[in-house]
Amino acid sequence: MKQGQKVRPAGPADASMTLLNEVMKRPLDPSYLEVAARKAAGLDTGPRGVRVAWVLVAAALLGAFITTAVVSLREPKDGVVQARALLVDRITRGRAQVASLRADTATMSQRIAALQSDALASSDPELLASLNQYEVVSGAAAVSGPGVRVTLDDAVGIRQNPDQADPSSRVMATDIQEVVNGLWAAGAEAIAVNGERLTSLSAVRGAGLAVQVDLSPVLPPYSVEAIGDPATLRARFSRTSASTRLEWLGARYGIVSNVAGVDRLQLAGAGQATLLYAAVHVPRAVGTNAPTATPTVATPSTPAPEGNTP
Amino acid sequence: MIALIGLVIGVVAGLILEPSVPVVLQPYLPIAVVAALDALFGALRALLDGLFDERVFLVSFLSNIIVAALIVFIGDQLGVGSQLSTAVVVVLGIRIFSNVASIRRQLFRA
Repeated sequence: MKQGQKVRPAGPADASMTLLNEVMKRPLDPSYLEVAARKAAGLDTGPRGVRVAWVLVAAALLGAFITTAVVSLREPKDGVVQARALLVDRITRGRAQVASLRADTATMSQRIAALQSDALASSDPELLASLNQYEVVSGAAAVSGPGVRVTLDDAVGIRQNPDQADPSSRVMATDIQEVVNGLWAAGAEAIAVNGERLTSLSAVRGAGLAVQVDLSPVLPPYSVEAIGDPATLRARFSRTSASTRLEWLGARYGIVSNVAGVDRLQLAGAGQATLLYAAVHVPRAVGTNAPTATPTVATPSTPAPEGNTP
Repeated sequence: MIALIGLVIGVVAGLILEPSVPVVLQPYLPIAVVAALDALFGALRALLDGLFDERVFLVSFLSNIIVAALIVFIGDQLGVGSQLSTAVVVVLGIRIFSNVASIRRQLFRA
């Protein structure tokens, strides 16, 4: 036989996929065929009794192993349920604790505020006046007065079956941000979202589908309350991009919104601000109360000079 | 037949005794079960084709489980455990599917 005549057999077109072909086209263990062929040829011999015992023991062991595996794989379900219940319980208790601590903080802040104004009323009435003004502006103090209430709610579909409807027909944090910014631009003096007063340091943010105001979650329907002259506020708000956005949200996603003037709104204060910067107040002569010289209001952007009491 | 009896004995023993699996082996149990399913369907098909052999069944059963667990173990050591588990599940899944398809053809001629 000449070497030159030896032609390499042309492989199948899918030769590069032998692994996949092996899996797809020969799912049956090839040894079944081999053993069947050997049996047909009469080659299959061996001590019968020993084999029976061997097969029996091996099959029993495998069966026991697989049963154990399945049983132990099914078992943790109870554990998961228990863990879930435990977590739910802890969350509920944690929430109750947070609520009571918040109430404590509110009473404490009130007492501090009362003591502060008592102390200042006698020693420095002018400082007290500017402090009160700063507290209103920064959102620390509770305020009330006429204003505008903007309500937003998820589309009707979402409220009926929350799992199936389009998630973009929910009210997003950006929508509320836009409304809040529009109200500020329209001249609102104080704003609260679902009772959470917005301070100069507040943020309306989205965490997944949830909306957070100052890190505390708020739930729909959202009510954004702004204090200011209702007529002016409404007129000027309707000219902002927020108003256009609300219309678009309603037309495109079915988000329900409403802007209404309210005679009297009561906005809670955000409470005592955490002091990030403080200095000992030196009483000065009356009339030289420049705003830069009143370090009582906490401003995080102010770099703390050395030597100040923290 | 003997293998079937043995399996039934093993299953009953496993249900009654409820031995606990060592924690070290826990990650390999799902893969082992899938491998066992593959061997079972392979055996069923061989039975319908008239090719069934107990020894081949047991050896394929055992080797399937051991190889699948070994692949996952090596994957875990290399940091690609979940990917290799996916690979094993895909391969065994394809085999189960084609075996079941051929069983269906045998049984219903369709």
